[in-house]
Amino acid sequence: MIQLHNVSVTYQQHICALNDVSLMIPRGDFVFLTGASGAGKSTLLKLLYAAITPSHGQIIIDNQNVSRLTRSELPYLRQTIGVVFQDFRLLPNRTVRENVAITLEVLGLGRKEIGERVNKILTQVGLEERMQATPCQLSGGEQQRVALARALVNEPKILLADEPTGNLDDENKSLILEILGEANCRGTTIVVASHDLRLVASSNRRSMMLDRGELREAHDESR
Amino acid sequence: MSHVKFKRRHVPGRAGILALTGYFFRRSLLNIRQNLVINILAVITITLSFLIISLFLLVFVNLEGAGEIWSEKVQVTVYFDRELNDKEFAALKNVIMTLDGTDSISYVSKGEALKRFSARLKGQESLLNGVPQEVLPSSLEIRLKQPFRTSGGVEAYVTRLKKIPTIVEVQYGEEWVRRFNTFMNFMRFAGALLGGFIALAVLFIISNTIKITIYSRREEVELLELVGATRFFIRIPFLIEGMLQGLCGALLALLILAGVSWAFLNHAGDFLLFNPQQAGLVFIPVTFCAALVGGGILVGFIGSLTSLHRFVEQS
Ligand SMILES: Nc1ncnc2c1ncn2[C@@H]1O[C@H](COP(=O)(O)OP(=O)(O)OP(=O)(O)O)[C@@H](O)[C@H]1O
Ligand SMILES: [Mg+2]
Repeated sequence: MIQLHNVSVTYQQHICALNDVSLMIPRGDFVFLTGASGAGKSTLLKLLYAAITPSHGQIIIDNQNVSRLTRSELPYLRQTIGVVFQDFRLLPNRTVRENVAITLEVLGLGRKEIGERVNKILTQVGLEERMQATPCQLSGGEQQRVALARALVNEPKILLADEPTGNLDDENKSLILEILGEANCRGTTIVVASHDLRLVASSNRRSMMLDRGELREAHDESR
Repeated sequence: MSHVKFKRRHVPGRAGILALTGYFFRRSLLNIRQNLVINILAVITITLSFLIISLFLLVFVNLEGAGEIWSEKVQVTVYFDRELNDKEFAALKNVIMTLDGTDSISYVSKGEALKRFSARLKGQESLLNGVPQEVLPSSLEIRLKQPFRTSGGVEAYVTRLKKIPTIVEVQYGEEWVRRFNTFMNFMRFAGALLGGFIALAVLFIISNTIKITIYSRREEVELLELVGATRFFIRIPFLIEGMLQGLCGALLALLILAGVSWAFLNHAGDFLLFNPQQAGLVFIPVTFCAALVGGGILVGFIGSLTSLHRFVEQS
């Protein structure tokens, strides 16, 4: 599903964020990406949803070389990828409901269909009472759950989550893991970036570790 | 590697084109409501800009109108080799009417000519005592159609007129016509120049205003790109929004101008020495108003399009 071949990313010609990273994530996998702050986790995820392009190397997603996609093909790749951004990127002027609906509107779904699916996912993340609130009226953890709902509501082929549990208590952490697990069971390939090693260990999933832009270990302790 | 491209997927539950159009309009209206302050500022800017343009047009239209009234003074007077009888007059009139450029003809009898002359003497009418009624010749006064009221037009017309046998003398205010023409041409030139500058300034102001409203929402554009919105999908609501802003701005400007000029026409007589209603002042013609409204929509559209273009390209 996801392959990186000798990928390097250099910001502003001298800040090396990723160095010669090669990896493969099969379809239906659930992996964690760990590493210290500044190790390059977010950079790697950005490559996958094509927000940045590698300075070197190839990225293959769903049998398609991402750097060869034209501007008009790019949106259709992104429609198959759900992303929970580290900084959430919720639109402050819109309600929770509208924020989550965006990913479905982009697909051109009808109003009724959108309404039903948004209600369902918001109930699942426990925010059915706050649908008409705006993001700034929510706590950090609630905002994070809205971001997760927005990424999952269109049942993407791939889910990329950048610190999806950063602001949450243990109970909510396991709720998020549960939701991610369910999505994974429905066939979504999941990549979670997190420096919370306890969370990674408790989940019993495969994990990959980045250290200053290099892939250190890719141990497979799953199943 | 297979060559399955990322294309528009078939998505179950996708809405039809009508529902999509509905979505775009709903989204635009919601966007306006959710970004009310900046939208109001944009509309105010556009309104003021259009107010300047339409005020300029109003002045220009009225000057043109005044020019047209003055140009009615362009008249040709014809005298004959001898006194004509009624039948001959009728025949001559017919011939002149068939000339291209003739608007109307009026007959000035000997008596009428003398009356006009004595009116000009003002208080010294006694000079005319004992002068016989027939001392001044009768004549025909010809009014010309609008396009012939220029120097060249009158001359060409007079040349053709002189070919009619019974006519011996043709008079028209040659000098006056020339000066009047020069003046009108200068007015039009100055108007076009000034109008051009104003239009440029307004275009610049409006497109920058729209750019600011879009720039203030770059987060939204970025997010839409990241969740896979096509360029078409991102742009349509912004374009609709821009067109609505332009429409509101142009309409408001016309309404304000109409209100102000109505008040002026009806009340200026109270405190000014002249009565604008009698002076024949008019509002901008309907076609110009329609053009202004259309221009507003167009400017909104193009302003949004260019700002989006630059913005989406650089991100
Ligand atoms: N836009 C940018 N311009 C320049 N340098 C950048 C940019 N984005 C990231 N970097 C640098 O690249 C390196 C990797 O950043 P990245 O955001 O991938 O780290 P991270 O692993 O996600 O860290 P964290 O756990 O704190 O989120 C850092 O040293 C960072 O300073
Ligand atoms: Mg990060």
